[in-house]
Parts: sequence; structure tokens; C-alpha cells
Amino acid sequence: MSSNPLPDGMAIAAETPWSRQRRRLTWSRLARGSVPYLLILPVLAVIGAVLGYPLYSLVRLSFQHYGLFELIRHAGQSVGLANYSSVLHDQIFWHTLLRTVVFTIANVGLTMTIGTALALLLVRLSNWVRVVLMSGLVLVWSVPVVVAVQVWYWMTNYQNGVLNYALTKLHLGDFFHHDWYATTFSQLGIVTALIVWGALPFVVVTVYAALAQVPRELVEAAEIDGASSLRVFRDVTVPILKPMLLILTSLSILWDFGVFTQPYLLIGQAHTTPSNYLMGTYLFEEGYIKTDFGRGAAISLLMLLIVAAMSVFYVRKMVKIGDVE
Amino acid sequence: MRTRVFVAAVAVVALGVVAATAGASGQHRQANKLTVWLQVDAQSGWPDVVAAANAQFQQDHPGYTVDVQYQNWSDHLQKFDATLAGGNSPDVIEMGNTEMTKYMAAGAFADITSSKSIFDNSANWLKGLAASGVYGGKLYGVPYYAGSRVVTYRTDVYNKAGIKKLPTSLAQFTTDARMLAAKNASVKGFSPVYIAGTDWYFAMSFVYDFGGSIAKTSKGKWIGNLDSPQSIAGLTAYKSFFTAVSKASKTSDEAHPAPYDVYSQGAAGSIIGPGWYSCCVGDKFKTTTAQFVMPSHTPGQPMPGFLGGSDLAIPTTSANKALAVDWLKDFISTSSEKALQAKGNIPNATNLLGTNVNERAAARSWFVPAAKHWVDVENGNILRNMLATILQGKLTVKQAAQNASDNISLVLNGS
Repeated sequence: MSSNPLPDGMAIAAETPWSRQRRRLTWSRLARGSVPYLLILPVLAVIGAVLGYPLYSLVRLSFQHYGLFELIRHAGQSVGLANYSSVLHDQIFWHTLLRTVVFTIANVGLTMTIGTALALLLVRLSNWVRVVLMSGLVLVWSVPVVVAVQVWYWMTNYQNGVLNYALTKLHLGDFFHHDWYATTFSQLGIVTALIVWGALPFVVVTVYAALAQVPRELVEAAEIDGASSLRVFRDVTVPILKPMLLILTSLSILWDFGVFTQPYLLIGQAHTTPSNYLMGTYLFEEGYIKTDFGRGAAISLLMLLIVAAMSVFYVRKMVKIGDVE
Repeated sequence: MRTRVFVAAVAVVALGVVAATAGASGQHRQANKLTVWLQVDAQSGWPDVVAAANAQFQQDHPGYTVDVQYQNWSDHLQKFDATLAGGNSPDVIEMGNTEMTKYMAAGAFADITSSKSIFDNSANWLKGLAASGVYGGKLYGVPYYAGSRVVTYRTDVYNKAGIKKLPTSLAQFTTDARMLAAKNASVKGFSPVYIAGTDWYFAMSFVYDFGGSIAKTSKGKWIGNLDSPQSIAGLTAYKSFFTAVSKASKTSDEAHPAPYDVYSQGAAGSIIGPGWYSCCVGDKFKTTTAQFVMPSHTPGQPMPGFLGGSDLAIPTTSANKALAVDWLKDFISTSSEKALQAKGNIPNATNLLGTNVNERAAARSWFVPAAKHWVDVENGNILRNMLATILQGKLTVKQAAQNASDNISLVLNGS
């Protein structure tokens, strides 16, 4: 009730007079009290429609056996927790989860490290180089994911790929007919390169903007005191950037953990097997390819729980940072 | 507290309205339009046949339009599933003959048994192909066309390599391929016979040629059979043939890249695939391209080829079922089927059969196990994964076949 702008005393005062006055007072109280609710009502309605209802359907679906037969009739059979227990007893689920965690750490680590390094570089560059680099980043940002995947697929193509051609021409070895999709490590390595490439612009631009917030005097003072540039970065720049870096890291984790488009399209349906599943592709294969929508719903809810748990950790950390400052 | 209840009530009503309208919009359809899903093969191979059928249909039904939407094999089932859920499925859909059983069993298609006699040649339909459209004695899909797999080759490079007579045994073909490789050593990455590493349609032909099979039934259960000695002999022969003749990626599939693209770039002396591959060999090789039947390891015999094919079905959700039947009648008419045959396909009826290379290749053929869950084996990439593992040498043929076989037993007997 703390969001109610009216003090409780007013309601008590309204108890004593005539019932008619009381009703009028209650009406005006209701009207005034509900203004904030009315203001957020459109948002609530939209969120409820686009998130709440589908989520409810998803939860209901996860307790049903819902295959092709049920899909055609628009009616599932209730099976209790069977979908959850079959997923949790599936070795493939645990292997995929572990692979996805490692994959996420690698992707987020590379994105944040390279992104921060590029942002620091931007500060030190001459004006025109900065414009060129920024334009490049914005171009990368503006390429739709599906188009980017196609371009990367062509570049890494076995038969006519420019990557193999360039590496061979640069005398880095004989890359003629090198198969970048031969092993799981290599497949996910290419996917990682694609994801990091696509994620860099957002990180660089954001960190670059945050760097403008670092007070010049602080850096100068540290330098006068004889601090090396590494020391200045560690003890002056990073603490100021920390909230921003934490937000970017947590967002990247959320995005990379559930990534689907890049691995599925780049590796291709014909080559997606349990040995290269990520959580996103696992969910798609189990739910859609095998038309077992109930099981798919259970997997997606488990993913949601994992992601929510990770978010809680970061949100709490960020709130703590806010308290200190 | 009352305000909260009020807000909750409003929210519930709003949600209800949204849900109701969402449900209603899915049901809306245009009454004078027929939506047809065909595979891209028709778009690249025989758009004229499609156009002719549409013209005939529109002549019989003035005011009606046909919206043909071309689909890809890799994702058309997922798209179809989505339309089944949303209520906007097409009125006619092309299905691969290996994909039919699962959908017929689930009740996705309309029973058209009573209309069978109105289709041209329906009394003489190809037995194997027509069977894929029948479930529980009822007709759910009409046969569209079949295709065997043949060798498409460049006569100029074969002549230059001194190959006077086309190979009639696997051993002879391997020897010829070695001669082709030697003559074209200057062309970097040249494949005498380009085979995508995980082309399971071709690889399984070796399995059947050596007397093996993918799966068999025993006491009403499916048992994976790739681990039988005959199947292993076939897989071993596939591995040595691939190693000797193809420079393709061991993990590639027959759609990425399309073998005819490699061929049209001059990087292959021959390719293996459907007869209509001759469509797309490129202007440069148009006049020097011919086809022959893939020989068996038993001299003089053709190697059993995968008898692929397509059926056409009418989803139960279609609101234009009678019209859809009429369009089907036009699309699989005798003249359409003859046009398809001219493009190198096998027509859908025995009385239309001729003696083109594709039809000769079909003399010995194999088909996937007629199991409800077969399509899950196919889309789960169990066979492709096994082939890549074998060619890369990650596992021995025996180990890889054993794993795949166990997996197939599991999937085919699934609920």
C-alpha cells in the first residue's frame, strides 16, 4: 500500500459523516487513488498480453503431452510432471547445459574484453580514424542477423570461401578445402566469432560513452602521483565504469545463453546434432523438429528459471553498487 | 484494496478481448483463393507445369486465384506445424514420401478416398509411391512424381580421360574415376565424382546393394539394422568409394552446396542425384552433359537407388477441400506427368513409364522403413552424423554403425 498517495488518516476521517458524503468521498478517493494505476494500466495490459498470457499458456503446455496429434485438435493431455522428469533425466540436457555455460562464458568474456579495449582505443584515436571505426561499428550493428549469418557462411565456405583463400594467400598454411564445420569446437568457434562480431558495436559505443564520464582531473591527479597508465585504468577508470560494465555483462549473458539464430543457421539443420546443441537449438530440436511441444515448453521454462536465477544475482549486485554511491 | 481488484478485473477483461481477437483473426481466410505449398524443386525445375495447371484451374473456376508458395525441404514441416496451430494452413501441400506417415497418423490430412477415380491414371499409380499416401486403407495423399538417383557426368572429361565405355560395375567406376582424377590433376579440388559426405540417400544405396538395410521389424518392434555384417560391408564400401572419388567436405550435405553448382563451376566430372540435376549444370556444360545409371558392386546390375518422391495432400484445416481436389486433378493430369517425365522425373503411373535413365535406375530401388517415427530419424540427422563420423575416421565403421543403429531402434519405437 505504500504507493497509495493518500494518508490513511483521511479514510478514517471519512468514516464519521453522512453516508452520502461518505460515498462521495470514497468516489473521489477512489478516483484520485487510482490515477497512478490507470496511468500504468496500458503498460500492464500490453505486458499481460504479450508476456503474461503466453507465459500462462507455456506453463500449461509444459504439463501436457502435446504432439502433432494434439496440435491438430488444439487439445493436450495432462501428464503432470512427466515432461520435466524426462528432460531432467536426459543426459543430453545436462551435456547441453554445460556446453552452453562454457560457450556463454567464452562469448561474454571475448565480447567484454575486446569491446572495452576498442572503446579505450577510440578515446586515443585521432578524429577521422575514430569516425571511420565508429562507422564500421554502426554498419555491423545495422546488418540483420540472418543476413550476417549468410555472409559468414559464404566467407567460411568449404568450396569457395574467401577465408580459406585469404589465409592461404597470406601463407598461414594450406587452407584450401579447409572444413570449418568439421568438429564441434570449430563449429562453435565460428559461431562465437560471429556472435562477438555482432555484439561488439553495442558494447563499444556504450563503454565509450561511459568513458566520457571519467573525470579528467582524477586521471591527471593519479598521473601526477606517478601512477602508470595500467594503474590508472585499474584504480580510476574501472571503478567508475563498473556499473556500466556490470549491466553490459549481465545483458550479454542473457543474450548469449539463449542464442539460437546464429548457431542454428550457421551450422545448419542438417548438421545440428546432440554433439553441438546449445540450449536454444536443443529446445528447437526437441520441441519443434520432434513435434513434442509439451517437452519443449518444459525445456524453455527450465531455461527461463536458469536465466532468472542469473539475473537475480546481477540485479542484487547492481542494487548494492547503487547503495554505496 | 478495492482499486487493485478493479485493476485486476480490467486487466483480465483486456486480456480476454486480446485472446478472443487473436483467435478470431486466425480463422479468417479468403474464399476465392487457393493456397498451394510446393517445394522449390518445382520452382527451379518445372514452373511451366505449375503455370499450366493453374491456367486450367482458373479456366474451370473463373474468379479464383491460386497462390503457389514455394517451400524448402529443410523447414517446411515446422512452418506447416505452425499453420496447423494458427489455423491458416495451405489448401494443398507437397510432402516428401518419407514424411507422410507421421502426419497421416496424426490426422493432419483430409480423406480423399472417394475422389480417387477422378484423378488421371489413378488405377495405375506406381505402387510404392501411392502406398506412401495411404494409411489405414484410406487415401490421404496423391502421388505427384518419383525420382531415382542417377549419375550426371561430363562427356568431354570422360572422353579426354579415355573412358570409352560407361562403367557397369562399382569397381570399374572407381578405376575410371582414378583416370579422371589423373587427367584433371591441374584443376585444384577436382572431384571425379562429387558426393556430399553426408548424402545419406546415396550412402544407404551401398547398404542395400550389399544386402543390408536401415531397420527391420521383428515381433511388431523396429530393430536398427545398420550394424548387421551386410550393412557394415556397404558402409565400408561407401567410405572407400568416397575417399577415392570425392573431394567434397566430409561433413557437407547435398544441399550446401548443391552438387550441380560444383559441377557448373567445373570442379566435378560427375555428380550423383535426382535426374533433374541436368537442369542446372550451367550453360558451359549444357551440351556435354549426359546421365547413366549408378552401377552395383555386382557387375551388370544397377545399384539400388533411393526411390524418392512427393505426394500432394489436403490439410484437414482447409476450407476449400473440393476446390483443392480440382486443382490436384489438373496438377497431376496425364499432360502434367508427361511434362515432368520430360524433365527427367518418373511419372506417377505405370502406363506412362518410359525408358529414360531415371526409369531404368528405378529398376532396383529401396525405400525408408515405413514407420510412423521415421521422419524423426531423418530430421534428427542420425544417418548424417554417422556418415560424417565414419568418413572423418572419428569412429570405426562398426562402432559408428552400432551407435546409429541403437539410436534408430530407440526413435522408431518411440511413443
